[in-house]
Amino acid sequence: MRALRIIVRNPMSLLGLILVGIVVLSALLAPWIAPYPDHNGAVVDFLNNNRAPSLKNLMGTDLVGRDILSRIMYGYQISLVLGVIVLAIATPIGTLFGLIAGYRGGWVEIVLMRIVDIFLSIPPLVLAIAMMGVLEPTLTNAMLAVTLMWWPWYARLVYSIARGEREEGYVVAAEVIGASTWHIIFREILPNCLPAIITKMTLDMGFVIIIASSLSFLGLGVQPPTPDLGSMVAEGARYLPDSWWLTVFPGLSILVAVFGFNLLGDGLREALEVQS
Amino acid sequence: MSLLSIRDLSLSFRGIHGVTEVLHGIALDIAPGEKVALVGESGSGKSVTARIVLGLLQELAAARIDGEVRFGGEDMRGFSRQQFAANRGTEISMIFQDPTSSLNPTFIIERQFAEVIRRRNPGASREDCLRIAGEALAETAIPDVERVLASYPFQLSGGMNQRVMIAMALVNKPKLLIADEPGTALDVTVQAQTLQLMRQLTDEHQAAVFFISHNLGVVREFADRVYVIYRGRIVEDGPTEAIFADPRHAYTRALMAAVPRITGMGLPDIPERSDSFDAPQISHEGGS
Amino acid sequence: MSQLVGILVRRIGISVVVLIGVSMLIFAIARIIPGDPARIALGPNATAEQIAKLRGEMHLDENIVIQYGFFIKDLVSGDLGTSLYTNRPVTLDIAQFLPATLELVFLAGVIMVGLGLPLGILAARFRNKWPDHLVRALALLTVSAPSFVWAVILMLLCAYYLPLFPIAGRLSDIYEIERVTGFLTIDTLIAGNVAAFLDVWHHLILPAVALALSGIGQAARLTRANMVETYEKPYIEMAQAYGFFPHRIARIYAFKPSLIPSLTIIGLDFAAMLGNAFLVEAVFAWPGLSRYGVNVILRKDLNAIMGTVLIIALTFLIVNIIVDLLIAVLNPRIRHSTRVQS
Repeated sequence: MRALRIIVRNPMSLLGLILVGIVVLSALLAPWIAPYPDHNGAVVDFLNNNRAPSLKNLMGTDLVGRDILSRIMYGYQISLVLGVIVLAIATPIGTLFGLIAGYRGGWVEIVLMRIVDIFLSIPPLVLAIAMMGVLEPTLTNAMLAVTLMWWPWYARLVYSIARGEREEGYVVAAEVIGASTWHIIFREILPNCLPAIITKMTLDMGFVIIIASSLSFLGLGVQPPTPDLGSMVAEGARYLPDSWWLTVFPGLSILVAVFGFNLLGDGLREALEVQS
Repeated sequence: MSLLSIRDLSLSFRGIHGVTEVLHGIALDIAPGEKVALVGESGSGKSVTARIVLGLLQELAAARIDGEVRFGGEDMRGFSRQQFAANRGTEISMIFQDPTSSLNPTFIIERQFAEVIRRRNPGASREDCLRIAGEALAETAIPDVERVLASYPFQLSGGMNQRVMIAMALVNKPKLLIADEPGTALDVTVQAQTLQLMRQLTDEHQAAVFFISHNLGVVREFADRVYVIYRGRIVEDGPTEAIFADPRHAYTRALMAAVPRITGMGLPDIPERSDSFDAPQISHEGGS
Repeated sequence: MSQLVGILVRRIGISVVVLIGVSMLIFAIARIIPGDPARIALGPNATAEQIAKLRGEMHLDENIVIQYGFFIKDLVSGDLGTSLYTNRPVTLDIAQFLPATLELVFLAGVIMVGLGLPLGILAARFRNKWPDHLVRALALLTVSAPSFVWAVILMLLCAYYLPLFPIAGRLSDIYEIERVTGFLTIDTLIAGNVAAFLDVWHHLILPAVALALSGIGQAARLTRANMVETYEKPYIEMAQAYGFFPHRIARIYAFKPSLIPSLTIIGLDFAAMLGNAFLVEAVFAWPGLSRYGVNVILRKDLNAIMGTVLIIALTFLIVNIIVDLLIAVLNPRIRHSTRVQS
């Protein structure tokens, strides 16, 4: 609660909170507040195709006449769902990996961290692209590919904290009184990693959105007609500069969402630093 | 006339939780060549006093400073940032608590020495700097001057770095040397050697010393005159012998009782707070 | 000097291990996936004989360990197999497309370091004052969009609306440059064609800036954070107490110790650029490895996919070795692990 108060008091973090709020709300409420709620699928309205922004369509219409603003709101749905699921899977896996490697040490540490090194030695996007290369481009597979490249970062973060905590008095004390390894890992060390993990998750929501939209921009992620911000930019890029609204608005909407999560994450980090 | 004269100096910090008062109008004098100690517990305000003299705290937006600080007769109240900076490293220099961490780990000693020498003598060539630094280090009885100059701080022992710090502090012939708990991070014998060296060299250079310490035993060895500070107020001052022979303020007595003695019964604690500690300042005769 | 050689040897050793791991990972991804790679490669109209023949060539009927053995054996002899997309050896394809990508990525790396570090220093030097706020806000903004968004925005602003830069490609059609290294910045010089050389740079700048933009932000943020931490160190207070000029403290005294922890991450950001090159090359129709990579991926060209990923991993590892050596040069603690006296 104190952390929340610190965030609200800092204008930048407050802006982040507001942006994230707008993004989340427009995603959640899209079916009710989107100007054209049915434009999330394979709807065609050739009479109104490729229109510049107007009062009727605030961000213009796409090549088959769908309202871009409505599709961006549905695009946020896809991005957020993907981000939440990727982090919900990658974080526990990476955390467990890092905790075990950091606490156990010895050959366990060497083997586990070498595996992590291997994952980290391929540029994240390249790994995801390679995976999507052999898998079918669907939403589920995109999630799988992004998750596969994501967990090692948590493993390394948690590992570096856990290794430091291993020598701390309270861990040694718990060992002396005969606490089990799992007890020490989950009850003693994990709580000390949580602030860092939560901060990283907030910042990573933004990065997952970036990576996922990058995949779909290359045609390797979510497929049309499902509205996805990355593929909307890719589709419109062919019609630059005349139909600029096809790319600029989806592109800026990615920027707004990620910027919001980054501001919020930065604020969260500062707030947690002040607390500890 | 005093070299450093402080009158009615007060300091407060504006923070998230309101204003914190650190100094409540202290007064202090140091004559040229005199060794004056400011003694108190941590948090009593002794280190901030030194940083005000250097003009470092004036740069903090949160710090509110009132009162008069004169150095060499000049009132520093209206000093600009540049005027303060002009004194630093030339007329006033400083020795820190932990010599090893006070030297930059990524540059060799020679480079850091040159940086200090060029404060006084901006056009000094590398050869000039090497020669001057070599002479300054030789004064501190360092055996292998060239090798020390070519070393990084982490390659030298704490005692060796302490000598380097002292040589650096005196190389520009400052009028005032501020020593903030010098050598506290070192072991006791090295600390004693350091103090002796500092005493000898400041005598030779006729530099005044503003000695900041929490350790009365060390102060007794080193200082001509002592100020005892408690929670931002000077509670007692006077010549070192007078204070040690006849400590009159309750806080000074408590502080002295806390100095470990060889025959003593361990280390008595200073009470957290006592009304008698807030009694008015006592000045011994014979001061400047 | 001998310490540097030691570090180099150790890092190369670790890199070889990592590279073997990467090859296993890629191999596993490529072979464990459902479906017959030979059928995927040949498409739906292939005959059973064609598939059987390709299966034999790809050793698909052996068990997975033996398949991997064949793969490594070919790899060591420099044979990455034949691309089913171009019908040429994958090594030849890579040799053709890699220089264009490296040229782009290296220039972007130089821009990242050349702008990111000074901006970070500036922010730390004026901590909590307006230059700091400005740098932090801009840096956060640049890291908040994927590079294809920046590429599209830059292209729209600086190539279409203000026609300052060409819209796509590496070189205008009017020039014919003989291919020697594949790096056009070098080949045009070898050909002695100054106009073409300038044209190459003209084409390079916009994509390189688009690729560098989020890296600049990352580098500035990182440098600022590490320098702010360094500013708390006693040796900075000592420098201030001795009246060193604030700019000199920032540029030299605080920067050098802060650079050492920053460099590792900057190496990782460079890696991110190798990935983001896929996006920027797509926008600017840049004939590089990344575009080749996307094309072979869309055609399920397994040999070419593996070759591309391996060569990117290799480039990344080489960059990391260079970064590690640079850290060793900058950090005397690594170079001199002996004490002179105690």
